[in-house]
Amino acid sequence: MLAFIARRLFVSVLVFLAATAVVFVMAANVGDPLAEARQLPPGPAQESAMAEITERMKLDEPVFVRYFHWLGSALTGDLGVNVTGRSINAMLENAVGSTLQLVLAATVLSIVIGITIGVISALRQYSGLDLSVTFAAFLFYSLPLFWVATLLKQFVAIDLNNWLADPELALWVIGLIALFVALFCAALVVGDRRSRVTTFVVAFVAMCALLWALSETGWFADPGLGIFVIALTAVAGAIGFTTLFSGLDWHSPPMRAAMAAAIAGIASALLLDPVLRDPNLATIALLAVITAGVCFAIGWLLGGELYRRSAVQSAMFTGLFTGAVIFTDRLLQSFASYSDLKGGRPVSTIGSGTPNFQGTFWQSGLDSLGHLALPTLALMLISLATYTRYTRASMLEVMNQDYVRTARAKGLPERAVVTRHSLRNGLIPITTLTAYDIGTVMGGAVVTETVFGWRAMGRLLLDGINQGDPMPIMAFFLVAGGAIVVFNMIADIAYGFLDPRIRLS
Amino acid sequence: MSTNTEPANGSRVHAGKTLADSLPPSDEEILRVEDLTVEFPTDDGIVHAVRGVDYSVREREVLGIVGESGSGKSVSSMAIMGLLPGNARVHGSIRYRGTDLLRMREKEHRSLRGDKIAMIFQDPMTSLNPVQTIGDQLAEAVLSHHLVSRKQALARAKEMLDLVGIPRPEARLKSYPHEFSGGMRQRVMIAMAIINDPDLIIADEPTTALDVTVQAQILEKLLEVKDEVNAAILMITHDLGVIAGMAHRVLVMYAGRPVEIGNVDVVFNQPRMPYMAGLLGSLPHLDATEHERLRPIVGTPPSLINVPPGCPFSPRCPLADDSACVTTEPELAPVDADEHYAACHHWSRLAQVDDPTAYFRAESERSR
Amino acid sequence: MRRTRTKPAQAPSGTDAVQGMGVRTRTQGELVFRRFVRHKGAVAGMIGLGAIVLLAVTSIGAGPIPGWWPKDFSSTGTIVDSGKPTLSLLPGFLGGSGMQMGEHPFGQDNVGRDYFALTMRGTQVSLVIAFIVGIVSTFVGTLIGAVAGYFRGKSEAALMRLTDLVITIPTLLFAGLVAVMAGDRGIVVLGLVLGLVTWTPTARLIRGEVLSIREKEFVIAARSFGTSARRIIVKHILPNTVGIIIVSVTLAIATAIILESALSFLGLGVQPPDTSLGRIIHDYQNALTVRPWLFYWPGFFIIGIVLSVNFIGDGLRDAFDPRQNRVRD
Repeated sequence: MLAFIARRLFVSVLVFLAATAVVFVMAANVGDPLAEARQLPPGPAQESAMAEITERMKLDEPVFVRYFHWLGSALTGDLGVNVTGRSINAMLENAVGSTLQLVLAATVLSIVIGITIGVISALRQYSGLDLSVTFAAFLFYSLPLFWVATLLKQFVAIDLNNWLADPELALWVIGLIALFVALFCAALVVGDRRSRVTTFVVAFVAMCALLWALSETGWFADPGLGIFVIALTAVAGAIGFTTLFSGLDWHSPPMRAAMAAAIAGIASALLLDPVLRDPNLATIALLAVITAGVCFAIGWLLGGELYRRSAVQSAMFTGLFTGAVIFTDRLLQSFASYSDLKGGRPVSTIGSGTPNFQGTFWQSGLDSLGHLALPTLALMLISLATYTRYTRASMLEVMNQDYVRTARAKGLPERAVVTRHSLRNGLIPITTLTAYDIGTVMGGAVVTETVFGWRAMGRLLLDGINQGDPMPIMAFFLVAGGAIVVFNMIADIAYGFLDPRIRLS
Repeated sequence: MSTNTEPANGSRVHAGKTLADSLPPSDEEILRVEDLTVEFPTDDGIVHAVRGVDYSVREREVLGIVGESGSGKSVSSMAIMGLLPGNARVHGSIRYRGTDLLRMREKEHRSLRGDKIAMIFQDPMTSLNPVQTIGDQLAEAVLSHHLVSRKQALARAKEMLDLVGIPRPEARLKSYPHEFSGGMRQRVMIAMAIINDPDLIIADEPTTALDVTVQAQILEKLLEVKDEVNAAILMITHDLGVIAGMAHRVLVMYAGRPVEIGNVDVVFNQPRMPYMAGLLGSLPHLDATEHERLRPIVGTPPSLINVPPGCPFSPRCPLADDSACVTTEPELAPVDADEHYAACHHWSRLAQVDDPTAYFRAESERSR
Repeated sequence: MRRTRTKPAQAPSGTDAVQGMGVRTRTQGELVFRRFVRHKGAVAGMIGLGAIVLLAVTSIGAGPIPGWWPKDFSSTGTIVDSGKPTLSLLPGFLGGSGMQMGEHPFGQDNVGRDYFALTMRGTQVSLVIAFIVGIVSTFVGTLIGAVAGYFRGKSEAALMRLTDLVITIPTLLFAGLVAVMAGDRGIVVLGLVLGLVTWTPTARLIRGEVLSIREKEFVIAARSFGTSARRIIVKHILPNTVGIIIVSVTLAIATAIILESALSFLGLGVQPPDTSLGRIIHDYQNALTVRPWLFYWPGFFIIGIVLSVNFIGDGLRDAFDPRQNRVRD
C-alpha cells in the first residue's frame, strides 16, 4: 500500500512538472506584455518603459530558457515578479487563503450533502423524492455558474439583508417552507400510505408552529438555541445515530453510551461558558479532540464486550454532533451584535472579508461565513449535482450485486445491509470522482470570485492572461494544479482504504 | 477429505460421501409449499414466473428441483427466502414447521433467514463482499442471530472454515474474497450457510459456475455438512447428473409449474411426463454407439407473459394431439408408481414402452 | 452441421409466432430506440433542443439566407418603452395582453438593438461552437482511449500520462489560454481548440470499455486469425463502444456550452464583433438592476440547451446500457 502510494506520488509529481512546462509555454505566448508600453507616446519614455519590461521578463531570451529560470527560482520558493515588478509571492499570500477556503468549503459540503442525498435517493428509487432529486440534479448541472452567482448576489444577498432589518415571515412563506419540509420527511418514511400521510401532517403542523413562533418572537433578528434546545437536539442526535448504527433499542448499551455522551455534552456546554465566550481556533480544536477522547472512553466502558464497536461509534458521533450544536448556538448568539457592527446588513456581496474587521472569535467567524456563504452556495450547486447523480447511480448498481443479496440472505436487517455492504462499495467510484471534480471547482472559483469581486486567485489568473504575463498564471497553476495532484493522492489513498483489491498491486 | 480429481461425466462418481452413506430423511415435514404463484409486472405485461407450485421437504431430505432457465425454480426458492424484488406479487403459502412465511412480519421472516433457512448461491465469485474479510462476513452471519461477542463469532467462523475443508482457517479469516479460488469461495458460502445450524439449505445451482473437477468436491462437501447440522437440502439445478447423484426426490418444473415429482430412481427410470423423458433422452451416454447423435428437445418453452391454453409443453411434445393437449392444462396427478405424480394427459402411453425417451429420438430424427 | 445439434436450447427462428408467444424478437437498434423513446426526459430534451435550434436558425437566418424575423442583431434603433420585452404569453382573459411577439419580444438593449435577434445570433454561435467541440473532443478522446486501451505497454503508458497531464491542468485555465491564443480567428477555430482540451473524460471512458472488450472471446478469436490491430479496433471494438461514444458526444456538447459561456463571460472566449450567449451576458452584466431582461434571456437559452442535451444524453445512456439505471427493486 505504501509502495503503491509512493509510486503514484512520484508519477504525479513528474506529470505535474511536465504540465508546468506546457502551461509556461502557453502562458508566455498568450499575449503581448508590452502592449501597455506601446500605447505610450513614442520617444525615450516609451523606449525605457519597454526596455524595463523586456529586462524584467527576460523577453529577449527563448521561452525554454525563461522556463528554466522560473523553475529554478520556483523550486527555491521565489515565484518572480509580475509585469509591473510586484512580487508574486506577496500577491499569492493575500490570494491563496480565501480561494482555498472557498474551494474547500464548496468541495467538502458538496461531497457530504451530495453523497447523503444520492444515497437516500437511491434507497427510495422512483419515489417522489427520488424523481425531484434527479430532476433538481439535472437542473443544477445545467446552470451556468456565473449566471447563478450573479443572481444570488443581486437578489438573495440584497433581499435577505432587507428582510433581516424586519424579520417577519409571511404566513404563505411559513406554509411553503413547512410544505417542503413535510414532503421531505414523508418521503424518508418507509411504510404504507397511512404512515406517510401521518408523518406529513405532523411535520407540516410542527414546522408551521415552529416558524410562526420564531417569527413572532423576533428570533431571526436575534437568534440562538438556548440550553433547552441544545439538550433536546443532543438527545435526538443520540437516538438518531444509535438507530442508524445498531437499531432502535432503548436499553441497549450503544443507546446508553450515546445518551451518556449527549448528557456529558450538555453539561460541558454549561460548565465551559467562560471558555466559550471568546475562544480561539486552537481552543476549539482542543475541545473537539477532548470530546472525541471522552466519548471513545464512554463507548468503550458502557459497550461491554458484546457491543463495544457500535457503542463507541454511537457515543463519538453523538458527542461530536453535540459539540457542533453548541458551536452553532454560540455563532447564532453573536449574530445580533455582528449585524450591528455591519450596520444591519450582515450578508456581504463584495470581497472575501470585511477589511480590518475587529471582533470576537464568533463575530469574525460570522464575518467569514457572511462573505463565504453565497459564493460557496453558487460554487456548490454544480458539484453537488455531480456527486448526487454519481452516488445514486453507484448505489443502485451496488444494491443489485450478488453480495448484497448474500447479506440479506444472512438475515441482516436492511439498515446493516445498506451501511455495511452497499455504502462502502458504492463509495469506491466516488473517490475517483473527487479527484476530477476539484479541477472543475478550481475553474469555477475563478468565475465565482470574479462575480463577487474577490481579489484572490481568479484575479491573479485573469490579470496574467490579460497582460500577457506568465508569472501570475504560473502562480495560479501551482496552486490549482497542486490541489489537483493532492486530491488525486487523497483519492488514491481513500480508494486503497476502501478497496482491498487495490492494496496488493 | 476427498481428493477426487477424476472428471465426472454424465452420472457423477463420488469417491467420498454419497447419498447412501448419509442419514436418511425422517417423516417430519419442515417445509410445505402450497399453490405458490409469483408474478412480475413488466413493460411487456405480467410475467407469470411461478404458476401454482406444491411440494414439501422432510427433515434431512434432499429434494432436487430441475428445469431450464425461466422455469421458475429459482424464483420459487427466492420466495422462500423472502428475497424477491419489491415489485413481485406472491400468493399461496409457504409453511415452515407450520408457520406461513408469506404472512409473517418482515422482522420474523428475517430472523429465520440465514438462521433456520440458509441459501447458497450460484456464483461464488460475486456472492461475497469484495471489501470485507471472510472472517467478518462469516462472523456477521452469527452476530445477526445470536447474542455473542465478536471473538466467539470469529471462533465459530474458524470452526466452519475447518469443517468445509479450508486449510489454515485461522489465517484465512483475515483474507479477502479475491484471495480465494472459485471452489474455495463456494466452500466459504457453504460455511456461511451452515454456520447457524439451519434446518434447510437452499442451494441454487451451487456448482454451475465451477470447474467440473471442483463440482464433485463441492457436492460431496454439501452432503457431508448436511449431516453435520442435520439439515435438509433444496437442490436447484439444471444438471440431471447432480440430481441423480445426490437427491432423494426430484421435482421437475416447466413453464412455472411442477410437471413431475417422485423418487429419483422412479422418475429417472420411468418418466411419466414427456418433458422429463426428453431431458433424459438428451443426455449423452457413455455406452452409446459411435454414430448415435445427441437428441435435443426441439423448440423453446412458451413465453410466461401470454401463457397459451393447454399443456405448455404441447408444441414441443411428440405425444401431443389436437384435443386435450391444446385446450386444458393437465393437473399434477398420481401415476403408476407410489408417490409419483406427473402432469400429462398421455402418461399411460409412456408407461407402455420400455424406453420413453425413444419418442424423442424419433422426433429429432424427423426434424432433420 | 445442424443448428439443432450444436445449440439444442436454441429454437430455429420463426417458431415464436407458431407457439403463440406474442413476444416478437427485436433487433438491437429497435431496442435502443424503444428505450430511448420511452425515456420521458430524453423525449422532452429532443423536443426542447429541436425547438431551440429551429428557432435560432429560422428566425434570423444563416449567412446569406434571411429568416422570418425582420430585424437584425447589429443595427441600433430608437428605444421604445425603455426597452422592455413585448413578448406576451398570457392570454387576454387571464389578464395578459394575449399571445403575441410584439415589436421587440425580448426587449432592446441600451442603444436600441433588438434583443431577440441578438439572442438568436448568440444561440447560433454557441450551438456551432458546442457541436464542433463535441465532435472534435469525442474524436480525439476516442482515438486516444481506444489506442491506449488496446495496446498494452509503452504506448498505453505514454497516452495515459498525456491524459494525466491534461487533467492536471484545470480545464478553465487550459481553455482560457488556448482560447486567447487562438485569438480572434473566429468561432470555428475557437471550437477546434476547445475540443482539444476537453477530450480527457471521453478518453478515460473509452479506454475502460476497450480494456474490457479486448478480453472478450470475439476479439481473441479475431486476433487468433491474425487480423491486424487496426482492423480489430475499427471493425470489432469500436462498434461495441458506439453507445459510449454517442453518450460522450452529448456530454461534451453540454460541457462545451457551459465552458464557452464561462470563458466568454470572463472575456476570454468569443471576441467582438462575434457574439455568443456567454458574451452577451458579459456585455450586459451591469444592466441587471436596470434592464434585467438583458441578463435573463441569454441565461434561459443556455439552461434550455444544456438541460435538453443532458436529458438526451441520459436517455441515450439508459437506452444503450439499460442495466445502469433500470435496476429491479
